[in-house]
Amino acid sequence: MRTLTVARAVGWRMLHNNFTTPSLLIPGLAFPLFFFIAFAGGLSRVNDVPGFDFPAGYTAFQFVFVLLQSAAFAGVFTGFGIVRDFETGFARRLMLAAPNRVGILLGYALGAIGRWALTAFILTVVALLAGMEVGGSGVDIFALYALAVLVNFVGLLWSAGVAMRLRTLQAAPLMQLPIFLALFFAPVFVPVELLADWLETIARLNPVTLLLEAGRSLIAGAPERVGIAFTAVFALIAGFFLWAVRGLRKAEAAGG
Amino acid sequence: MKGAIEVRGLVREFKGGIKAVSGIDLDVPAGQIYGFLGPNGAGKSTTVHMLTTLLPPTAGSARVGGFDIVKEGPAVRRTIGAALQEAALDPLLTGREHLKLQLALHGVRRTERGGRTDELLERVGLRLAADRKIGGYSGGMKRRLDLALALAHRPRILFLDEPTTGLDPQSRSALWDEVVRLKRDEGVTVFLTTQYLEEADVLADRVGIIDHGRIVAEGTPASLKAEIGRPTVEAMPGEGTTQRELEGILARFGELQPSTSGIAVRLDGQGGLTEVVRALDAAQANVAALHLHSPTLDDVFLAKTGRSLEGSEEPAEPEA
Ligand SMILES: Nc1ncnc2c1ncn2[C@@H]1O[C@H](COP(=O)(O)OP(=O)(O)OP(=O)(O)O)[C@@H](O)[C@H]1O
Ligand SMILES: [Mg+2]
Repeated sequence: MRTLTVARAVGWRMLHNNFTTPSLLIPGLAFPLFFFIAFAGGLSRVNDVPGFDFPAGYTAFQFVFVLLQSAAFAGVFTGFGIVRDFETGFARRLMLAAPNRVGILLGYALGAIGRWALTAFILTVVALLAGMEVGGSGVDIFALYALAVLVNFVGLLWSAGVAMRLRTLQAAPLMQLPIFLALFFAPVFVPVELLADWLETIARLNPVTLLLEAGRSLIAGAPERVGIAFTAVFALIAGFFLWAVRGLRKAEAAGG
Repeated sequence: MKGAIEVRGLVREFKGGIKAVSGIDLDVPAGQIYGFLGPNGAGKSTTVHMLTTLLPPTAGSARVGGFDIVKEGPAVRRTIGAALQEAALDPLLTGREHLKLQLALHGVRRTERGGRTDELLERVGLRLAADRKIGGYSGGMKRRLDLALALAHRPRILFLDEPTTGLDPQSRSALWDEVVRLKRDEGVTVFLTTQYLEEADVLADRVGIIDHGRIVAEGTPASLKAEIGRPTVEAMPGEGTTQRELEGILARFGELQPSTSGIAVRLDGQGGLTEVVRALDAAQANVAALHLHSPTLDDVFLAKTGRSLEGSEEPAEPEA
């Protein structure tokens, strides 16, 4: 299948650039680690807050958040790479070579996953060294990482859609904004029950809450609403896949 | 053999109603070099983008390699190679990595990529720079790499958009040689845009002259020049002879043309250079210099548009 050949080649290149260019590589690794250490370490007293009853402890509670957040942002940052390709004209080379241009999109997605994989690995090692308790079984943990991979895909599809419509680096804030908002209105630091009333109301409507809670239930080994979370993330993927492919068509119509 | 490129009524309009290409027709037989000549903003690149499936046409149709550029984009892309006006390169990759990637994108098997890469690097003279990131390449090196990339998958039809702009004379003639070699040895059809008359004249089997999105003249360089026909004679007055006297004599042989240094006349068939010399002699006119100019493609352009091709618009932007 030529589409997969193209995807593999594009993915290889994204990873190559990421791993040979410190200015691309370092932020993707440093920020999640920084968040994790700052939140899990700095806020560990949350363990003692009345009403905080997460069985695996605050480190695991924060780990799930940082894992999902880093997945989403690895997707979004790959969107910056897409914009860069349009700005340098390299996108035209891909457009000229790919029989089916959806293969280019899939290639960017491969790049996003690859770039996140290293972050996830290091984050996991650091969390385990920090004494994170893991209550979930192998299947639960697999499901947690699978969920994160899907979140990564959502982030990539969203930012690819923006990148291919605007094709300028000025689109960067726009790519990040909705993700920041979605995270802001989610139970990032404490369980949803402990949020202020107005914030709790919004958080309950926020799909990110669903993903976070499902992820946390998996690491604690007490899966809860995991099926709904996966359904939600697949729905997001379907929606944003259309968004990204239509963005691709817009870029094609504009001549790359 | 069937036409490699067939274009019918091709139009591209941009937002704001700019008609970059307004209804062009052209045919390029397989195995020929077609020179697409025009000043800045004439619509050359827009045409190339449409024919290479990068840009959908607003109206009209075209077949490249027998495939419809709108309905059979993937098949067209498999058949063609293209080096666009702005080199499409990634500053973070080396020359060699570009070639390997290009070959991978085109589905060339991994085992064949290394050998083909070396071969192409050699051919464009980038063997020594192969493992440097192209961020540090000169403009000419980038263009040569772009050409190698366009050739990577051995396309039957090659699009080159102003391939020699920004090249030094040496690289330019090397590129000309390569284009001729591709046609001769591999039977590649080449669609080449240029602002240089000389380039079209030297390389092209056929030339299309485009201006403001329309083809104003088309044919072999020889036939186009023949259409303009007659050469121009230009004479500079010598001592004791005035411009006016010269003008009186030369005007008998045809239409006077603008000339900066003397008197010029386009011969209209009443006589050739010999007759002009005899007439000057008979009038005992003293002539400091006498030139016979064969018609050029610039004359063709001038005749068709009333403007001179070279320097007819603002100068081209410097290459990035
Ligand atoms: N994306 C675009 N949007 C709007 N107008 C455009 C666009 N691309 C080209 N044009 C306009 O279309 C016309 C033709 O441009 P084109 O690039 O095809 O010319 P060209 O013959 O390649 O010129 P040059 O020799 O400078 O490369 C110009 O007036 C140009 O400003
Ligand atoms: Mg151009």
